[in-house]
Amino acid sequence: MNAGRSVAIAALLCSLALASGAGCARNQRLDVRYPEAGVNRALLASVPPQRVGISPVVDRRLDTSRIGSLPKDGRVIVTRRPVSDIVHDALTIEVSRNGHAVLPDAQDLVLAAEVEEFWLDVVVGRSHAQYVGKVVLALAVVDGRNGETLFTRHYAGTNRREADADAKDVAREVMDAALARTLHDFATDPKVVAAFSRRAR
Amino acid sequence: MNARGNVVMHRAVAVLLVLFVVVLSGCASTSPPQPTARPFENLRQLVVVASGDTTFAVTEHSAEPGRTFDEILKWGSLGGWWWKPAADLAHRGINWLLQLNRKSDASAGLGDVSPRDVVTAAFASTLLASGQYDEISTLTAEPIGDDRRGADAIVRLAVPAWGLMRVREGEPDLHSAFADVRAELVLRGTGVVVWQRTEDVTDLERVPLATFTADRQFTRQQLIDVLERAGQRLASELLYARSAGR
Repeated sequence: MNAGRSVAIAALLCSLALASGAGCARNQRLDVRYPEAGVNRALLASVPPQRVGISPVVDRRLDTSRIGSLPKDGRVIVTRRPVSDIVHDALTIEVSRNGHAVLPDAQDLVLAAEVEEFWLDVVVGRSHAQYVGKVVLALAVVDGRNGETLFTRHYAGTNRREADADAKDVAREVMDAALARTLHDFATDPKVVAAFSRRAR
Repeated sequence: MNARGNVVMHRAVAVLLVLFVVVLSGCASTSPPQPTARPFENLRQLVVVASGDTTFAVTEHSAEPGRTFDEILKWGSLGGWWWKPAADLAHRGINWLLQLNRKSDASAGLGDVSPRDVVTAAFASTLLASGQYDEISTLTAEPIGDDRRGADAIVRLAVPAWGLMRVREGEPDLHSAFADVRAELVLRGTGVVVWQRTEDVTDLERVPLATFTADRQFTRQQLIDVLERAGQRLASELLYARSAGR
């Protein structure tokens, strides 16, 4: 009896695993990441080095289960890693490349980020498709010692590209570029520099 | 004889080793130097010149009506080598006619909007606000005389296309304002291009095309907003690249 039950449970687990695997196969999974090779020391590097903490990124999107869907067959587009991790890594790269130390504790400043949109639209035409990526982040710079919010602003980046409807890497590249533009706007914002400078005094 | 042979062998091995090292070092010395980005952070005075043709467009990226033709002709006996090019041509022709109509509706309230002026103003003000430049002047033609002598570099800026674009399929389809812009930074005197950038900017709001065609004030505001955004984006990328390789 016990052996029979074990076999049944094992069969059920196997079925579930197979079903989830098939589900994954149906999705288009994009390895979206901030393109590190293009990261520069920008205006943010003009401030004396700070110890910066980056809070866990909060995902505020209405639909966190996908970043889009393909109009041809309705397949869902998802990211390989959680969107909040992608954004956290991007912020870490940008801030550290600008000469600041990203540390889990003992911070001068804390960056708090929320993802408001992370979406890819695909419009299929007669001979090609148009991809439009959109990233919207809410970022706050907080004084690490007293918790005072020094600065807060929304940053948004888009990228648009035409390609074959079956092009392999375009969807990922469009999202990479939209994320990069968002981070570039952040790193060149004089008000972010002012907030970093204020804490540096 | 054996001892002598060993000595010769050792010397041969030593010579081969030396040759090996020399060849390796030769390879290392002849490898091309890594390209380094050209920093242009010492530039303090810029002249921005906007030029080039600008096209207003309402872009659909639609499979219709060509798809419909394909479906219709599948039912009948027509078809053959000539069909595909003919259908493509008809598709383009009909879309062109439809676009003309949409374009005239959407651009009705835009008579006095100069895309180049809006982008240039936003570009210049964003650069000035960064505190990285002492003076930025905007011109509609290449600088001459004192304007030219006073500039460290010239930014040549263009807005090849702007308008409305279908960005999401649905009932109804959703459209956004868009602007395609490009700029290059050229050092005065040498004419060396130190930075180039093309930016596609799509507005963040998506609304049905009927909203644009029915509300001229809204359309005008959306288009001005996206042009300003395009100018800010170009400036942001110039600032980002300014100290590349430092």
